[in-house]
Amino acid sequence: MLNVETNPIFRSKGKGGMRENMNVLIRKTWSPYLAGALAGIVLCLSVLVAGKYFGASTTYVRSAGILEKAVASDHVAKSSYFMRTKVKVDWQMLFVVGILLGSFASAQISRDFTAVAIPPMWRRRFGTNKAPRFLVAFLGGVVALFGARMAGG
Amino acid sequence: MTKRTWSERSGSALDQWVRITHMLFCCGRDNGAYAIQKGVGIMELIYGLVTGILFGFLMQKAHVIRYDKQVGAMRLTDFTIFKFMLSAIIVGMVGIYFLKDAGIVSLSVKSTSLGANIIGGLIFGIGWALAGYCPGTAAGALGEGRWDALIAIVGMLVGAALYAEAYPALKASVLAWGNLGKITLPDILGLHHWIVIVALCVIYVGLFFLFRLVEKVE
Repeated sequence: MLNVETNPIFRSKGKGGMRENMNVLIRKTWSPYLAGALAGIVLCLSVLVAGKYFGASTTYVRSAGILEKAVASDHVAKSSYFMRTKVKVDWQMLFVVGILLGSFASAQISRDFTAVAIPPMWRRRFGTNKAPRFLVAFLGGVVALFGARMAGG
Repeated sequence: MTKRTWSERSGSALDQWVRITHMLFCCGRDNGAYAIQKGVGIMELIYGLVTGILFGFLMQKAHVIRYDKQVGAMRLTDFTIFKFMLSAIIVGMVGIYFLKDAGIVSLSVKSTSLGANIIGGLIFGIGWALAGYCPGTAAGALGEGRWDALIAIVGMLVGAALYAEAYPALKASVLAWGNLGKITLPDILGLHHWIVIVALCVIYVGLFFLFRLVEKVE
């Protein structure tokens, strides 16, 4: 009925299909449906076991607070925002560090780790000069986090 | 009724053990090794790390953390992220409401403020499109070797610091506009939550078929 080889839900596109590579962990690409569903299960387990829902942007606030505290601790102590969002190491900060480590592990196991400074899509459109890409990545990061915190998540 | 999580009920054994060992080996000396985590239990941090590793692993395997996929989703030329997110939402939505109905977990609903959500969302979208990474995926992208994600992360730290400065002014204005409180979709529609869940699942699965149709046309 549900043939894992032919069913599009389980069949991943591109290199390393089911038959070519039976070791799931080494395979470069997993079906986004399957990986997404597993991520949903991870979320349920997290809420069940630790009582924690997923989030990332608060970590940037806490980290910025930790860095600012090193330079101007009085300023941070007086900030109404850092009183609301405490400057501390918490579940979410380790969650974000975990995302980095998990991604690194996955990329290493499947030999998918590629050190690149400019994404292929950007390179095709804007060329190989690093400066414009880094400037836009920086400004994008500033604007994205500001907006995310305003929108509440 | 306040619900206690498993970690509070059973997992604290290890926490206790860490506390006792700390007391034995660092008696009297507050050298900060464990004291940093006052009130945050060590188990909580371990759960965070393990959950992040699993989530990062899955995102890397599905290729959803790279710039080309993120910007591809925004240009509606690549549906990988939609497939991943909607699958996670379907499973998460059904699972969490199932656990909630069983009385085991409680929802974490954030307040809806039209001003904050709409204006903040638009600003976030501009930044996301420029950076090509969002706060969570930037960490994952760095993990698979994308160095521009590190620059985006530095930008995000600056953005967070700027928001902290702007917060007092925003609190009195944008954040207060159209504040609807902690509402959910079933609340607004006045429907039983399982009706809404089933309807959303049908819509999302419909979208999966739409994606395949569009991919075939291309």
